[in-house]
Amino acid sequence: MTLLAFVILLTAVTVGYVINLRAARAIRDGGTRMHSLESFHGGYAALMTLVPTFFLIIIWMLFQGTVIELIVKSGISDQLEGLGTGETQLVMAEIRSIAGGRIFGTPEQWKLDAAERLVALRGLSGWLLVAVTAALATTMLYVSRRTVSSEFRARQGVERIVHVLMAGCATVAIFVTIGIVASLLFETFRFFQMVPFWDFLLGTNWEPQIPIREDQVAAEGAFGMLPVFLGTLVIAFVAMVIATPIGLLSAIYLHEFASNRIRGVVKPVLEVLAGVPTVVYGFFAILVIAPAIRSFGTDLGLPIASNTALAAGSVMGIMLIPFISSFADDALGAVPRSLRDGSLAVGATQAETMLKVLFPAAIPGIVGGILLAISRAIGETMIVVMAAGLIAKMTINPLDSVTTVTVQIVTLLIGDTAFDSPKTLAAFALGMVLFLMTLCINILALRIVRKYREIYD
Amino acid sequence: MTMFDVTKPETAVDQTDIKIAASNVQVFYGDTQAIKDVDVDIQDKTVTAFIGPSGCGKSTFLRCLNRMNDTIDSCRVEGRILLDEQDIYAPQVDPVQLRAKVGMVFQKPNPFPKSIYDNVAYGPKIHGMARTKGELDEVVEKSLRRAALWEEVKDRLDTPGTGLSGGQQQRLCIARAVATRPEVLLMDEPCSALDPIATAQVEELIDELKQRFSVVIVTHSMQQAARVSQKTAFFHLGNLVEYDDTNTIFTNPQDPRTESYITGRIG
Ligand SMILES: Nc1ncnc2c1ncn2[C@@H]1O[C@H](COP(=O)(O)OP(=O)(O)OP(=O)(O)O)[C@@H](O)[C@H]1O
Ligand SMILES: [Mg+2]
Repeated sequence: MTLLAFVILLTAVTVGYVINLRAARAIRDGGTRMHSLESFHGGYAALMTLVPTFFLIIIWMLFQGTVIELIVKSGISDQLEGLGTGETQLVMAEIRSIAGGRIFGTPEQWKLDAAERLVALRGLSGWLLVAVTAALATTMLYVSRRTVSSEFRARQGVERIVHVLMAGCATVAIFVTIGIVASLLFETFRFFQMVPFWDFLLGTNWEPQIPIREDQVAAEGAFGMLPVFLGTLVIAFVAMVIATPIGLLSAIYLHEFASNRIRGVVKPVLEVLAGVPTVVYGFFAILVIAPAIRSFGTDLGLPIASNTALAAGSVMGIMLIPFISSFADDALGAVPRSLRDGSLAVGATQAETMLKVLFPAAIPGIVGGILLAISRAIGETMIVVMAAGLIAKMTINPLDSVTTVTVQIVTLLIGDTAFDSPKTLAAFALGMVLFLMTLCINILALRIVRKYREIYD
Repeated sequence: MTMFDVTKPETAVDQTDIKIAASNVQVFYGDTQAIKDVDVDIQDKTVTAFIGPSGCGKSTFLRCLNRMNDTIDSCRVEGRILLDEQDIYAPQVDPVQLRAKVGMVFQKPNPFPKSIYDNVAYGPKIHGMARTKGELDEVVEKSLRRAALWEEVKDRLDTPGTGLSGGQQQRLCIARAVATRPEVLLMDEPCSALDPIATAQVEELIDELKQRFSVVIVTHSMQQAARVSQKTAFFHLGNLVEYDDTNTIFTNPQDPRTESYITGRIG
């Protein structure tokens, strides 16, 4: 039925376009000068039909299930009398599956009746949707057909509708963001009702293994985020120590010194590196880097954990190289050619020009890129889940095993969880920490990047 | 060169006078030829003006003189250009050294995003022309004075050069170019972004610069060419049509194309 509704919609849109186009053309051929081109009259009709009808169908689809169930429920209110919400839901689920043809055992007659009713209502709703769609589309066609005249400003009309649509999309994005932040805030708030704020913020002990069921034996949980936070910083630091110099130098080389042929090879390779899924980087960390570091350590006689921060961090650094290098490349490319010429013209070499003019001029953009890379390193999950440790340790030794905020969020939420224990809610608090950290870094980065745009535009 | 004065007094005048001798110069951008067979001798301590309609190759030819065309990938230069009788396209010549001797000022002011002081000190620092901070200060002050900018900026030498007005920026670029004490100064439409007052200042400056340097200036203004230059070269469609004393070019041009250009009929 919904398919039919969409077919009607599309037909109406096409018909509206053609009718208005023809009508406008007829007026023009009659010798009157039109305010708008005929295609705008057509487009106006198409949009006037498309937008309201489309939203009608969407809203109908969103709410028809709820409305139908409400009606069915009110029909069997006698039988539901005195049942709790959980039981009511069970009954409704049973009715739904009966309606879907999956009957288990021998249900009571009233359930069968209700299921039948449900099926009938669904069919009715489908037909109603088609009817309403057709009616609305026709009305809109009629309304927009009436507007065709030489003075009608179809062009502005079309622009206005498109304008509203774009504003709508932007609003959706904003509301989604607000919604995410709000849910995060809400859960975090619940967590802090169970665990004191300062214990979380300044505690040096992270042991979230608390009993989930009363009969389970486990230690009392401890929720001090500092070791986890520190682990994140250690790994991000290792990643940046590797990614920043390599990324910058490769960008400088590619931008200024490489021949076209080398650039033609290296650039795509870097892009491939940027496109590798992080899971694959994770494999790489476990299977190649970690064993290499360990055997290197044993050769030197150093005690090295099997999941070192160094392994996870360096692979993350490799992941960030193309990111930083493409940012730096853009920043260098944004420095006007005239500056380069000016420097070369006083007899500076290419290297001096790069070091003394281009690089300083590009620094704000480069710093912006590095900050964005840091915030990615902090938020990166897959590599550390695979390659970093699980035990939170208060250490800054990169050869030790550390855990990160993202790893802990994943482990807290995996498995047998109830969404009202501090263990699971702690994940949201950690998420909040992560969110605030990356938010601050991103704001800083965007500020710097924007400031440098002002200089050259 | 003084040697020639003693041994061959007749030719010596010509020899010492010629700073840059270009012969048979062809320039190609990819497959299209932008400069065709240009011969020109640029004299020392003289202002030479290049005039001609837009796209005729003035800038292209100017950039050959300090090998700035090397920085354009598709550009290819043929022929011989001698600076003080040395081929500047010879393999042993380092373009970087050459550009210290042949300075350039661009059409659009392009100060570095550094302080005014650092803009001017950039060249001298790179070439190690000042041993102490005091010497460097002196070079900066002298260059800024030459560019008629000193009085306006002496109290804010550490503010960014990009914060100056367009005309001041252009004079800053001139100061930057003269700070390396070049022997030849190439100027590509240096006044196109300037108001009449700043233009007059720059022209005065050019007049003063010719005491020491040989100046080559590209300009679209006939009046400017007539005011500042002693020699004028007229380019048309990549050819050097006429090259003579500025007076002759403007009062008695030999080629009909030159005449129509300076009287405003082509271009
Ligand atoms: N980088 C380049 N790549 C390809 N062709 C170029 C390049 N620079 C200049 N040209 C071409 O060479 C010819 C001469 O250009 P040039 O810039 O020397 O002219 P011009 O005389 O300086 O003009 P204008 O007075 O407008 O500055 C033009 O046809 C131009 O299209
Ligand atoms: Mg030019």
